[in-house]
Amino acid sequence: MIPASSPSTASDKIVSVRDLKFTYEGGIQALKGINLDIRRGEYVAVVGGNGSGKTTLAKNINGLLRPTSGTVMVNGRSASDLTVAQLARVVGYAFQNPDHQLFCSSVVDEVRFGPQNMGFTQEDISTKVERAIEAMDLKGQRDQPPLSLTLGERRRVSIASVIAMTPEVFIVDEPTTGLDARETDDLMASIDRLNQEGRTVILITHDMNLVAKHARRVLVMSEGRIVLDSDPGGAFSDLELLLQSKLVPPPVVQLAHRLSGLGVSRETLSPGELVSRLMLGGGEAK
Amino acid sequence: MIQMRALAAQNVRFKYSGSEHWALDGLSLDVEKGEFVSVLGCNGAGKSTLCLLLNGLIPHAIHGELQGNVEVFGTDVTKKTVAELSTQVGIVFQEPESQLFCMSVEEEVAFGPENLAVPREEIRERVEWALDLVGMSGYNDRSPFSLSGGQKQRVAIAAALSMRPEMLVLDEPAYALDPVGRTELYQFLRELKVRHGMTVLLAERDAEEAALFSDKIVLMKDGRQVAAGTPREMLHDPDKLRAMGIVPPQMSEVASLLNARLPGANFSFITVDEAERAISQSVVGRKVRRSR
Amino acid sequence: MTGFIDLYTEADTFLHRMDPRVKIVAVLLVTILGLVLSSLYSLLVLLAFIFVMLFLARATFSRTVFALKFVIRFMVLIILLWPIFDPSGTPVLASLGPVKITEPAIWRGVTSAARVGCLATVWYILMFTTSQRDLVRALVKLGLRFDFGLALAISLRFLPTLSATIDSIKDAQRARGLELDKGGLLKRARNYVAVLVPTIVSALRTADTLSLALQSRAYGARADRTYLRDLRMRSADIAALVLLVAIFVVPTIAKYLFAAPL
Repeated sequence: MIPASSPSTASDKIVSVRDLKFTYEGGIQALKGINLDIRRGEYVAVVGGNGSGKTTLAKNINGLLRPTSGTVMVNGRSASDLTVAQLARVVGYAFQNPDHQLFCSSVVDEVRFGPQNMGFTQEDISTKVERAIEAMDLKGQRDQPPLSLTLGERRRVSIASVIAMTPEVFIVDEPTTGLDARETDDLMASIDRLNQEGRTVILITHDMNLVAKHARRVLVMSEGRIVLDSDPGGAFSDLELLLQSKLVPPPVVQLAHRLSGLGVSRETLSPGELVSRLMLGGGEAK
Repeated sequence: MIQMRALAAQNVRFKYSGSEHWALDGLSLDVEKGEFVSVLGCNGAGKSTLCLLLNGLIPHAIHGELQGNVEVFGTDVTKKTVAELSTQVGIVFQEPESQLFCMSVEEEVAFGPENLAVPREEIRERVEWALDLVGMSGYNDRSPFSLSGGQKQRVAIAAALSMRPEMLVLDEPAYALDPVGRTELYQFLRELKVRHGMTVLLAERDAEEAALFSDKIVLMKDGRQVAAGTPREMLHDPDKLRAMGIVPPQMSEVASLLNARLPGANFSFITVDEAERAISQSVVGRKVRRSR
Repeated sequence: MTGFIDLYTEADTFLHRMDPRVKIVAVLLVTILGLVLSSLYSLLVLLAFIFVMLFLARATFSRTVFALKFVIRFMVLIILLWPIFDPSGTPVLASLGPVKITEPAIWRGVTSAARVGCLATVWYILMFTTSQRDLVRALVKLGLRFDFGLALAISLRFLPTLSATIDSIKDAQRARGLELDKGGLLKRARNYVAVLVPTIVSALRTADTLSLALQSRAYGARADRTYLRDLRMRSADIAALVLLVAIFVVPTIAKYLFAAPL
């Protein structure tokens, strides 16, 4: 599916994927022809059930996987021409399991690791590290060993260590798994801020509630293809498609669909929106 | 006649050895036989600690200071070994990967009864029964590594069930599952309770499914019980739940907002079905219909 | 990484069906026989016998060569290097300074290589026809303590998981700019710390949960545990065992008691 076009220059597109196909060594074809343009500053959610190809797509963008066929352009250059380390300067990737990254004896050291590998100057590194620690609310934990922190804190350290490399694009994989309501809100607020500061954010998740609240563009993936590319409202209006893609629409969306006979829009995303639309009819309780 | 409770915990306090902080700090909790109880709380509320207490891992395998009274099916957990309690209480941990250690599904499910020297024929029956129950019949020779997350979880449950416990304790069982897997898991647990009389206790951070399937909801914070009651009683106040770090059911948020905006309204639904019914029948619904 | 340990391929041959204990004993006997025999001809006969077993196990030539590629390289190395380091015997075919290439040395090299080939191939057949499950069960039945057998089984079961975790960790660190294949030895060693620490932490966390899971299933509750599946020797297995012992005993006695040139 081709997204709605809008007037833009080529340099607007920070990630461009054309006919990307990828097959794993065992023979499983995880991506069956992806066409995608992501513009600078977008906040994209890539959703799909397990095995839909969302992580495979992300790894093709940051070079951890190389296309079996098709092209991936990052910031105007072909990803195949760049090593993973080189791509890491433009595309940051925070993995789902933060414990697969943490190994230093303090949070500061951990956050320094990425920028040091990038070869920035010492001064530059210090600035970036401080900014990242502040952006992810880790000032209080800066000298503590990352492994002694709670899951929510470890996630934030992992994300801080990636954004300290100041990539333009930030891919985050299932950041809220295992977090409670408060931790989720805090973490997503930090990620929202990153986007507000100009970073392109790609959020990989199967939690539709998160998508409804935060993303501005949704790519629904199923069995290696993008089956829907639209704004969240549009994505939720097709319940059938969501269910087929092994996604569960949030209860609010389900309710909105059921009450559509009462004039409630199918594109309702949040309880607040639903109530407002209901109230358009005005009135008092019986 | 006094009916024996599945769980009777009074004023339980527990501190992990080496820690200053009381993970459980005055917890009292009752669970009746055959109840499906969801214990909700934020990370650090003590839910996992509670789970580990129920089959005796605390205090026998995990050391620390335990105070108070914990009785499972009438037995004091401090007075029986984990092995003895394992035939009454089965436990399933968060990560399916790390609790499946045998080379095949069949061995995994047979492991428990084998340790108890159950006769071979009976082990065979139990294995088939447990696998059938979780929908994994025929997977006997598969290796755990080759299974999907949801399948691994089911094998872990089967492995606990083959010990024929009366209560199944699950610590954040949907952790590694996608949304469809979550719903299926909860539906399965409900079936287990309804068809087989199993007492189910699970620990969760998200109230959405718990609202649909539980008999009783217990809210935990700072190592103790804050409140317990039916799903409707416990989950109708989304602000209170959020303050406790629990994700409230979206419908309760809708109800709460409607009540705030409509003077005199008293909506109280926590599921989509209830919400649809209540709103369609209410004045608001009628008004909206009229104005279209 | 796990390919080394998990060579098992399911098939329905008599070797696959043979009791794993018999197979283990067979491999041990053949190994010892391979060390006992010193004449090239007898070793070639043994090798031929082993190839016949390989064929009967339905192991394809290409797979065997792939699995044994290091062994084959090693064998070639032995054949090439032995004459260089063994200057004894006549006739001398070539010489350069202290190095003398003699005909007997060449044959000795070939003999050693044949021996290595026999040993490696027979172990390969064992791995190819016996699942890890059966191997561990056989060891326990042969006297290995159950706990050791369980520890071995658990380690084998977690090898692929560990391998996948390491891959994931490598990916995560590469995404932070870590380049594992660059730099001198010291730098590379330091780089590997970034992979080693998370791996060990992950392994320890798994071990923790594992230990709780084991206890929750009454592990160690009684000394007299039962087994769902048990190994039972069929008459075919016993016959095979008798035959194997004969194959081992006859040449050994012939060689040591009757000085046969084997």
